[in-house]
Amino acid sequence: MSLPATSPRSFVPSRFLNRQLFAIVVGSSLTIVTFIFWPKLAGWLLSSNFLPHAYCYLRNPGLIWTNVTADALIGISYLAISVTLGYLGYKGRRDIPYHGMFLAFGLFILGCGGTHFVEAITVWIPVYVLSAAVKVFTAVVSLTTAAVLPFTVPHVFDLICQAKTTEQRTAELCASEERKNALLQEVHHRVKNNLAVICSLFYLQSTHSKDEETAQIFRDMENRVHSMALVHESLYGSENLARIDFAQYAQGLAQDILASHGRPTVPVCLKTELEPVTMGADLAVPCGLILNELVSNAFKHGFPKERGGEIKLTLRNDPSGSCTLCVQDTGVGIPAGLDVNTSQSLGLKLVLLLTQQIRGSFELIKSDPGTSAFLYFKVNHHAC
Amino acid sequence: MHADTSSVEPRALIIEDETLIAEELRVRLSRLGFSVIAAVGSGEEGVAIATRERPDLVLMDIRLNGNKDGVQAAKEIREQVDVPIVYLTAHSDRPTVDRANKTDHDGFILKPFLRRELQSTIEVAMQRHAIRTKAKIQ
Repeated sequence: MSLPATSPRSFVPSRFLNRQLFAIVVGSSLTIVTFIFWPKLAGWLLSSNFLPHAYCYLRNPGLIWTNVTADALIGISYLAISVTLGYLGYKGRRDIPYHGMFLAFGLFILGCGGTHFVEAITVWIPVYVLSAAVKVFTAVVSLTTAAVLPFTVPHVFDLICQAKTTEQRTAELCASEERKNALLQEVHHRVKNNLAVICSLFYLQSTHSKDEETAQIFRDMENRVHSMALVHESLYGSENLARIDFAQYAQGLAQDILASHGRPTVPVCLKTELEPVTMGADLAVPCGLILNELVSNAFKHGFPKERGGEIKLTLRNDPSGSCTLCVQDTGVGIPAGLDVNTSQSLGLKLVLLLTQQIRGSFELIKSDPGTSAFLYFKVNHHAC
Repeated sequence: MHADTSSVEPRALIIEDETLIAEELRVRLSRLGFSVIAAVGSGEEGVAIATRERPDLVLMDIRLNGNKDGVQAAKEIREQVDVPIVYLTAHSDRPTVDRANKTDHDGFILKPFLRRELQSTIEVAMQRHAIRTKAKIQ
């Protein structure tokens, strides 16, 4: 009979198993030794010089078999229940508090099963001493279990309370997590909406401009803000609200820029070859602004009126986090002697400043035909 | 815009609570050949004008001023007038899109992709509606 364990976790599985085996071996050895040195005990225990129970039943077969069958069935059921309880108590000894109580119940029910088995035997073989011994054993185990059980009641109530509190805490945590996500979504939504309004302002101003050059300035500004708004749109739609799929973003942005320059008569096609890269807003915003300048420049300077061609966007990403963003066009090419660092173009100046911000590097190469712009930068995969 | 075969300009109604975005839409729709009959910011006004004026196209924002949101307003308009409705929203989160998709509509444009999608989505919406009307007559 094991008392309720005060700390279920204090049992190390192997130690527990060893202890059980030890108890069984010692118990069996003691029994065998006792029977060897005191053979009379065994004789006495199994003595059968009494009248079998069948006499009491007047050898009525119906009565005998009803009793024997019922006793055997009860015995088998008790055995099955005690095996289950023993298994539960042993398997769950690290997780079930008071698993000792399960073992105690198992032993007690085993004892009850034993008395029924012996009852079935004594119908023919009158081993009443054995029957009494089994009953004494069962009585001791039952008494101990009955005495210990009330002491575990307050602990069981405690456990129920703890479980309820844990459940409540979990629900509160989930609710707070949901509130946090809803708030983040709302923030992204508002930022995006405000940026969308700024875009509308630039668009409206561009439609009220007297000359094409001024209108173009406002369209450029609209595109710049739009590239930032798209980052927030992507964040808003993304699963974790912290990182965006830059490949998807770049594809959408490039299409938007071409749509805003819209020249339906001379097609400039967009080709993309983008490997998936995810990044936080702190990196995506400057990268998006740079991409906006590069694609806009390729379109504006590479393809003057009535010249068609192709703009190719490539994004490469290696496992170490090094990214290469490349914008190639089949346009007229950069003017000879153009120095990126001393150029008066605001677009190029923005590209250089933002490259510096993301600790990247930038180069502009005259290719045949057209121009290739390369941006090299690092993505931190773990930052959120 | 050649969605309407008659020589009269197709008439559009804009229901959008950000007035500046509504104004941009008005300009863009005019450039696509529409005559914009009104731009309103609440679902209630939208339903009233749509049922009275019977426009050829409704551009509908989902988040609106007032008690009625775009999905509800679209449902009420469709119960009374047979008009193509294109949703226009900054809500790209799944539940909103799903809820809007459960109602009868002819297109969906997410606000930041306005430029890319405005013309093509409106054209498709007008064509779908024309085919539906023709099927009903036959």
